[in-house]
Amino acid sequence: MLNHPRRPLRLLPDLWICPFRPFFLATAVSAFLGMALWLAVLSGWLPAPDTPGGPIVLHAHEMIFGFATASIAGFLLTAVVEFTGCAPIGRGALVRLTLLWLAGRLGWALSGVLGPLPAAVADLGFMGLLLFHVAGPLWRSPQRRHLAFFHTLLALGLCHAGFHLTLLRGADALPWLHLATGLLMILIVVALSRISMRLVNDVLTDQGGIAAPYLARPPRRSLAIFTIALFSAAEFVLPPGSTTGWLALATAAAVFNLLNDWHVGRALFQRWVFIAYLVYWCMGLGYALIGIGLLAGQPWGSAGRHLLLVGALGLAIQIVMVAAGRMHSGWGLDPRPWVPAAGLLILLAALARSLAGLPAGSAHYPRLILIAGSLWLLAWGLYLARSFPVLALPRPDGRQGCDEAVTKT
Amino acid sequence: MRPARPAQRLLRHATGALGATGNYLWSGWGSIASIGLFLAAWDMTAGHLGELILPRPLEALARLQQLLADGQAWPEIAVTARRALAGFALSVGIGSLLGLLAGLSVTASMTARPLVTLLVGMPPIAWLILALLWFGAGDGTPVFTVFIACFPIIFVGAMQGTRSLDGQLRELARAFRLPPWMRLTDVILPHVVSYLFPAWISALGMSWKIVVMAELLSTEDGIGAALAVSRSHLDTAASMAWIVALVGSLLAIEYLLLEPVKRRVESWREFASSSS
Repeated sequence: MLNHPRRPLRLLPDLWICPFRPFFLATAVSAFLGMALWLAVLSGWLPAPDTPGGPIVLHAHEMIFGFATASIAGFLLTAVVEFTGCAPIGRGALVRLTLLWLAGRLGWALSGVLGPLPAAVADLGFMGLLLFHVAGPLWRSPQRRHLAFFHTLLALGLCHAGFHLTLLRGADALPWLHLATGLLMILIVVALSRISMRLVNDVLTDQGGIAAPYLARPPRRSLAIFTIALFSAAEFVLPPGSTTGWLALATAAAVFNLLNDWHVGRALFQRWVFIAYLVYWCMGLGYALIGIGLLAGQPWGSAGRHLLLVGALGLAIQIVMVAAGRMHSGWGLDPRPWVPAAGLLILLAALARSLAGLPAGSAHYPRLILIAGSLWLLAWGLYLARSFPVLALPRPDGRQGCDEAVTKT
Repeated sequence: MRPARPAQRLLRHATGALGATGNYLWSGWGSIASIGLFLAAWDMTAGHLGELILPRPLEALARLQQLLADGQAWPEIAVTARRALAGFALSVGIGSLLGLLAGLSVTASMTARPLVTLLVGMPPIAWLILALLWFGAGDGTPVFTVFIACFPIIFVGAMQGTRSLDGQLRELARAFRLPPWMRLTDVILPHVVSYLFPAWISALGMSWKIVVMAELLSTEDGIGAALAVSRSHLDTAASMAWIVALVGSLLAIEYLLLEPVKRRVESWREFASSSS
């Protein structure tokens, strides 16, 4: 049974009853705070931080290894329990993990004074500990069907280590963050295939009582993962040029190919399904933009990448957090209109940020960046306001742990 | 239940067909992804070998666009298409008819078999030499070469189609006194077409390859002749542009025209195998 160490948990004791709770809260807070500070820097209200690698590396790193990684930790620590049926990690371990993540953020905030080493130690310690907690159950499960999570997380950890080593050597660490972007897209494909099968089939069953006609087909998924990996590796190794451009276009096509699984008729327009569907649209368009830019010799990489990170990643993280957070706190899926509204805000933020990097929007660059950032802040502010009670307060059924709500049917 | 009104039925059919077409076109993304991977490999090889030996895909495409834009390419493509389709149409007509007839009689099919082996075994380049002697430089040579190269494929397809027709089905049709027209459209044709169609498709692919080879050696116009000219000028970009045009049109015909028709024609097979 879970032990109940009292000391560090007086404040919001229910925050620690399931692993996703502190991490989803951390994700949303870092999405909000990180973007607010970044906008303040861009608008000149705050001085540009004097961190190793410069402000852009800081922004990209915090969004990928701060914001996104917190959500991954929350998701995996909860999902692995559900997939494999093993025992969840204890509260002590959860507190340690959360504190390590926080130490990493603090290390970065002070890295101008302390140098890059403390942040690196905290970040990599967090990654290592997370891998340790996730690896055991995934390897021990009889068929090892979910090892893809372990592999992707391991690759993400190695990529993070490479990033910090490069930064310690004083070299340009941005390519490592581009590589991490590819790994995050792979993680989305891996995770969404499992989540979507559940969501889509629930909707289909609700609508017409058809038994499980939707399948996320492995060959299509494998092709998409393969092309993303190939493009990311090529982008990392080769100079920008037409070869990586064609690979990016192939990746875009492979991602659009995934949508074949999703064309299941009316069920597509149900909110949980449609927002997940938009994730792939953003991903495909992002890679297409990167590819066309590379082939045409235009600097559109940032526009495409933001479509991947704000659009695909932002939407995926939020929809998973909204759905899984409510389900595993005993609340059931959220029927309120703020869910599609927040999704729309993130989508618009992605489009505005992407447009700012294209010739059509370059004249209004500062304004578009501000608009995109504000839409992002609104979306995550909305999430925080609506989800804080779900994450930090007792479950409505008064139970402990991560059990789902008693099903409605 | 009330029968649906014709307008409603038509609408339902139309939306169903539209949805199926959309799904079919959307499933093309998988093929586009693999073509993208191929282009990346080509591009990388070109980067290693140098532009003179192998131009990059973008360069070949730009060259093709230029050839199309200044009106140089269309007449050549039209000439080549005319020859390929003429030869193909001849072999479809004669090959299918003779094959069907040969399939009706055991003796005829027995006699035809070694001849077909002989025709299949004869390399097209040998036919081309003979055709050059018989028809000289002009349309006759490529058309004949295409015809004679495609003929055995279609002939064999048609013959096997009629030979493998289920005797019991024929018996059944006779027992139920099906009118000859119904016997043809409901019993014989669906079966025979499932053999004929793949044969036609491989013959069509063949016809494009053969016609270019024939043109390269025997004529002064068409894609094959243009390839010969670009080769003699050491213009690899133009050569690749022509090859891209050739393969591109073949892909388009195959995936936009033949494959959908094939799916439609053979949909009964899926039904038959799923209901058994």
